[in-house]
Amino acid sequence: MNLKKNFASRLSLRVMLVTAGLMFTVTLLSALFAAATVMREADTVAEKVLDNAILEIEQVITEVERAVDNVDWMVEQHLNDEEFLFTVTRELVQSNPNVIGSAVAFEPGYFKGRPYFAPYSYEGDESHEIHSLQMGNEQYDYPTLDWYQIPKLLGRPYWSEPYYDDGGAGQRMSTYSMPLKDGDGQLIGILTADISLDWLSERVASIKPYENSYTLLIGRNGSYIAHPDPNKVLNETIFTSALEMTDTTAMRIGREMIAGHRGMEMFLNDNEESFMVYGPLSNGWSMGVVCTYKDIYHNVNVVIVILAFLLLIGLVALFFGIRSLIRKQTMPVVEFSNSAMTIAKGNFNARIPEVKSKDELKKLRDSLAYMQQSINEYIVELKSTTAANERYESELNIARDIQMSLLPQNFPQRDDCSLHAMVQPAKEVGGDLYDFIEVGDSIFFMVGDVSGKGVPAALFMAIARAAFRFIGSLGLSMAEVMGRVNNCLCDGNKNEMFVTIFAGHLDLKTGEMRFCNAGHNPIVIVGPDGKASFLRAKSNLPVGLFENFPYEDETIVVERGSRLVIYTDGVTEAEREDKSQFGEDRLLEWAGKLNPSVSSTSAVLDLYAHVKNFTRGADQNDDITIMSLLMK
Amino acid sequence: MNVTINEDGAKALVKLEGRLDTTNADQFMKDITPLMNGAHEEIDVDCTDMEYTSSQGLRMFLMLQKNVSARGAKLVLRNMKPHVKEVFDITGFSHIITIV
Repeated sequence: MNLKKNFASRLSLRVMLVTAGLMFTVTLLSALFAAATVMREADTVAEKVLDNAILEIEQVITEVERAVDNVDWMVEQHLNDEEFLFTVTRELVQSNPNVIGSAVAFEPGYFKGRPYFAPYSYEGDESHEIHSLQMGNEQYDYPTLDWYQIPKLLGRPYWSEPYYDDGGAGQRMSTYSMPLKDGDGQLIGILTADISLDWLSERVASIKPYENSYTLLIGRNGSYIAHPDPNKVLNETIFTSALEMTDTTAMRIGREMIAGHRGMEMFLNDNEESFMVYGPLSNGWSMGVVCTYKDIYHNVNVVIVILAFLLLIGLVALFFGIRSLIRKQTMPVVEFSNSAMTIAKGNFNARIPEVKSKDELKKLRDSLAYMQQSINEYIVELKSTTAANERYESELNIARDIQMSLLPQNFPQRDDCSLHAMVQPAKEVGGDLYDFIEVGDSIFFMVGDVSGKGVPAALFMAIARAAFRFIGSLGLSMAEVMGRVNNCLCDGNKNEMFVTIFAGHLDLKTGEMRFCNAGHNPIVIVGPDGKASFLRAKSNLPVGLFENFPYEDETIVVERGSRLVIYTDGVTEAEREDKSQFGEDRLLEWAGKLNPSVSSTSAVLDLYAHVKNFTRGADQNDDITIMSLLMK
Repeated sequence: MNVTINEDGAKALVKLEGRLDTTNADQFMKDITPLMNGAHEEIDVDCTDMEYTSSQGLRMFLMLQKNVSARGAKLVLRNMKPHVKEVFDITGFSHIITIV
């Protein structure tokens, strides 16, 4: 299938391209809109996740704090009961799954004068058995540690910064410390509960709204409490991480977080376009959820891919649908085309398919039918015109035959003279004529040229020829012959037609020639020596003009061996394309070069050939007549 | 063939230019029809720029001459080129048409 040559396909393709353009634009706008929506939603989702995460961690913290609060009064009532103090810490660990260790650390010297006394219970890392011990000694000088010293100084409960405890549990932890006071409000020790940061990290790590998102928890000074990368916990702070980034936004986020603010910020996280929602926890910690835009775009991209796929299917369906529709609609055009082709091949009555609709197709169908009708009418007309032309042409040919038969073709076969003549009409019939009559040892000859040419001239030529032949045979003088022919042609000549005639009567014994020139071209005489000259004669009017015009004849003696060349102006006025004429000079030049003794037939044909050679194929504009009479 | 006719009272001044042959004889006839139908006492034809005339052309001059003679007017052809004049001489037309 050639898509470009098929109208239906081409149109469908165009419609489809336009539709594709529109759909593409709509899809693009939808995608942008979807992206904006997804972005907004992503913020909301991230915030919700953050809120949930904060809530979850707060719950843990609250549970721990409440557990410590709950045992506080019991400890204060059994300050001297060593056994009980161990049991309390043990119970605290056992009944609170979030608590991995608990201690009652006394001020140095308070408990029975001992420099260090701190009953401590902790959960074994793997066995989950609870071990108890007294952890204070000279190596583990707990009163100097943060978890002891800071709440002591602050005088209120405190969550420690994350640290690695090497006193017992041997893991990373954060400790909730509550100051213990006696009846006077004097500090006597610190009651603690530890939570495992590994465990916290695990819980936090499981909070992620998107595939590449993660959640982090930092302490008051920015150190990581929970982070998907466990190596960062304890070892790094949010600020040391930010230092490695080119985007300083991370640094600002860190400051905002430790200031206990809530917010949302976009930043380049290790060159990954991201955003972070963060919020404070009640104990001074701060939690953040980091999401990459990659994940969010991914969702948008999925939508776009689905849309594009649907678009493609839709377009293909549209293409085939439209094409089939157009094909169906334009089927009559194909049928019209076939009909037109049939008509063009000559079957003018080919059936043109009917159209029921009243639209452009109906118009086309009517036009085609009208054309068919017009062609049929035209053909009928053409046939009759052609027939008329053929009839006219054949009649002209018959006329030509008749006219040619009027000109004698049986030239005299004599020893004392050679006579030949020819007429070449410019059209089928012409107005030139020649004639000759042998009268004993004399010969009577004439060449005439009727004004104009074609059928009118031919008719007049026929009259002139008949008149001349009859009157010429009466044996009258040349002047008398010319006068009578003139009167005969003047009779009823309303169209002012006339004939120029050169007529002569040559006595072949004596060479005496009587002649009359009625307005005709001067004849050429070529002497026996080959010298050619024009015979200048008295000018008489052409015959047919004025009745009773007195024609005059003259007499000369023609030397034996001389040749007379009589012609019509078709010879001297034969023209080339450039309008230059053969002329009298060329005629005389030709005559002068002619072999004096050559036969008249050869002389006539030679002159005609010369004229034709001169005109170089230009249209002949007048009848040509040539006669040669050689007196031997 | 170009025919220009100017009128000077009862006199018609005609100027002929170019060739008068079979192809334009009919047009020439139409061009000089006003002279045939008019009542000019004298028709003065300037032939200075006339290059050629065929026997058909001669016939037109003859018809004009006969028309003019019939109503007692005068036709004069002037300044004819020698080779054109020759045609009028050969055919004897110079006997019936005034050429000066």
